[in-house]
Amino acid sequence: MNKTLILAGALSAALVGTAHAESVLKVALNADIRSTDPGVNRDTNSDAVIMHITEGLVAFREDATVGPLLAKDVQVSDDGLRYTFHLRDGVKFQNGKALTSADVLWTWKRFLDPKTQWRCAPEFDGHGGAKIVDISAQDPLTVVFTLDKPNGLFLTSTALPECGGSGILSADSLNADGSWKTPVGTGPFQLGEWKPGQYVELLRNPNYTPRDEKEPDGYTGNKSTSLDRVRLLVIPDPAAAKAALLSKNVDLLIDVTPLDATELAAHSGVRVTSSGTMSVNALLFQTRDPLLKDVRLRQAIAHALDSAQIVEALTGGRSKANNSMVASGSHYHTAVEDQGFTFDPAKTAQLLREAGYKGEPIKLIVNKRYAAIFDMGVFVQAMAKASGINLELETLEWGTQLERYQSGNYQMMAFPYSERLDPALSFDSMTGDKDKESRKVWDNPQAREWLREAQREGDISKRQALFDQLHQQMIKDVPMIPMYNGNAIAASRDYVKGLRTWPVSKPRLWTVSVPAAGSN
Amino acid sequence: MFRFISQRLAMSVPTLLLISLMVFAIIRLVPGDPALLMLGDMADAHSLEVARSSLGLDQPLPVQFVIWLKAVLSGDLGHSITTNEAVLPLILDRFQMSAGIVLVSVLLAALIAVPAGLLSAWKQDSALDFGVVSTATLLLSIPSFWLGLLLLYAFGIKLGWLPVVGYVSFGQSPWQALSFIVLPIVTLTLVELGAITRMARASAIEVLRLEYITHARAKGLSERAVLWRHALRNSFAPTLTLIGLILGNLLSGIAVLETVFTLPGIGRLMVDAIYARDYPVLQGCLLLVTFVYVLVNLLVDLLYPLFDPRVKL
Repeated sequence: MNKTLILAGALSAALVGTAHAESVLKVALNADIRSTDPGVNRDTNSDAVIMHITEGLVAFREDATVGPLLAKDVQVSDDGLRYTFHLRDGVKFQNGKALTSADVLWTWKRFLDPKTQWRCAPEFDGHGGAKIVDISAQDPLTVVFTLDKPNGLFLTSTALPECGGSGILSADSLNADGSWKTPVGTGPFQLGEWKPGQYVELLRNPNYTPRDEKEPDGYTGNKSTSLDRVRLLVIPDPAAAKAALLSKNVDLLIDVTPLDATELAAHSGVRVTSSGTMSVNALLFQTRDPLLKDVRLRQAIAHALDSAQIVEALTGGRSKANNSMVASGSHYHTAVEDQGFTFDPAKTAQLLREAGYKGEPIKLIVNKRYAAIFDMGVFVQAMAKASGINLELETLEWGTQLERYQSGNYQMMAFPYSERLDPALSFDSMTGDKDKESRKVWDNPQAREWLREAQREGDISKRQALFDQLHQQMIKDVPMIPMYNGNAIAASRDYVKGLRTWPVSKPRLWTVSVPAAGSN
Repeated sequence: MFRFISQRLAMSVPTLLLISLMVFAIIRLVPGDPALLMLGDMADAHSLEVARSSLGLDQPLPVQFVIWLKAVLSGDLGHSITTNEAVLPLILDRFQMSAGIVLVSVLLAALIAVPAGLLSAWKQDSALDFGVVSTATLLLSIPSFWLGLLLLYAFGIKLGWLPVVGYVSFGQSPWQALSFIVLPIVTLTLVELGAITRMARASAIEVLRLEYITHARAKGLSERAVLWRHALRNSFAPTLTLIGLILGNLLSGIAVLETVFTLPGIGRLMVDAIYARDYPVLQGCLLLVTFVYVLVNLLVDLLYPLFDPRVKL
């Protein structure tokens, strides 16, 4: 009897010993995702999650340029109208089915169907950006997209995270009635479970077919992962998220404020990493306001602000001031874009005199949803006051501020532009005809023409010249003061390895590794 | 009794209708637009128009109200603008979680506070009374979120006995579920202890001064019998009213605590719905909350005669 028991015990111990210990990463999400349908009902967290599950034909590289992902290569015809994508051979969906050009056709047909309500359809159906006139499959591994006219942003728009990276899906993603079921893509993870309000669980995709590169490269490259499971826990309260990290209930926080980062960095066992992103925090002027329509007053405010000092204080030295809509991390950001507004109180005094400013109050709208925006407003108010400019802060709830932005109903506004991964998209967010779109900040016909050209043009040097011109004109017109590009700050336990930051403020968890369960 | 209940429930119908109309109107008066919040700063005119149309927001307000009311009367509270989930199962699921925590907390608080208040009143002006009143006042003054964070820090971070974030239902794992809700329950119990203790003490002091208590003592009844049989029963009615109000108040959402403890309850759902201008979810939540208030008040009214013989239904 005793021998049998000992034998059974030894066998159990051996089985436990050889059982695969799971490698699980627990990450805090500051809000729940909206859906799992790529680019449809989305927000930044939904995009971040879906980019782990689906993959598009092309994707952003580490330096925010676009490179092939599911495509082996992309050929563009001389007239810029035909894009030929050769698919990688042997790629499988998470359900084990092979990826073919038929899947690309099916996915894009669904994307462009108005019933899908794909967020990016206007970028491809002629409403806003390019117009795809035909998508055809030449063979099982070749797809050709034909545009009505050349478009320099076609590949960039295809790769955008807010479009779900135009991830190619298996038809099994839908129910029989055509409604959305679950994303079946080709990414390194597959959706395990989404418990709304609680967590999203991703499981390693056993059918993942990596690219030939040795390393991951942005959203492309080799995305093989050592993680078995990722659990993204919804923790809306920053204090609770910090507590969760300190108690090892989560391993990684991906959206930490500079203030919290300083506090967390002081704890042993916690590591803080950060990188500049392509979002823009800016001060907007309503150029049709009776007071602010005078460019001299806007210039006076710009010269009253020591952007470098404000940004240093706001970000704890993690970001540098950037008065350009071309993000610091963009390869289009050159010495020209470094020429911004100079801090010159004497010039401010002279401009105020010329403009006949007599201390009239100017309302500056801020919000508390984005702490950096509120703090930026406070700093700006204080510095403007030192130069005799009377700014009054008006704190609004984010939804209300967004409506005021959309309707152009403000004098000044501190505003966070979400990241645009191409300067043409950044300029497009603020340039346009105010009579047609009241949200547009800069209404200059010449700038609109340059922008249209930059959107059409594919040649890098020609685009650079156009962005330089746009930047220089914007500094003269002062429709807004871009202050700095945002910062993606992550805090993790020290056993979390391989966390890589990049200009896109979204995590890439396939690069991360943690010790197997129980060993940390 | 049955007539009374039916009458009260029937009376709640116009209340619910009025509330639904008010909620519908007020939330739409708040600046901000769900389609715009969904698209953010990337909303161009065309995308906004498409989103508004798909959400039915391009219809005139009276039309939107009639469509919503018709659906509600047929038991359909619509779908969430944010996640497209059906509203009724969503709010029932979230309410279930909040209700569990609130009911247990209030029950625990009442079980501790009522005897404590009674003893304090019995020993009025003694060291015990001073201790009870001071503790109750202290607990009454502590904000729930601060106490919650303090407990999280002590038991979650410093001692590491309990998880700091997360939630699983009792159906999935009872022990794990307990480990997640024990801190919210303790926090809520402590916070509500103060008010209930003070009310129980004040009512008991009043009753203990009445003649029938002196009469009971003169008859030779033991102090225990005087306190539990006569003082408690007759002084409990105002405390019961307070417990009813607390229940109604808490059942309408413990948003702050749910946020601190990352619990997916009705309070957090409601706050998220306000920020996202998720009209169907918000309207559904507020209808449910109104209904809960009506039910809790009805229950208190039904229990009243048990403690106050002067009240007849």
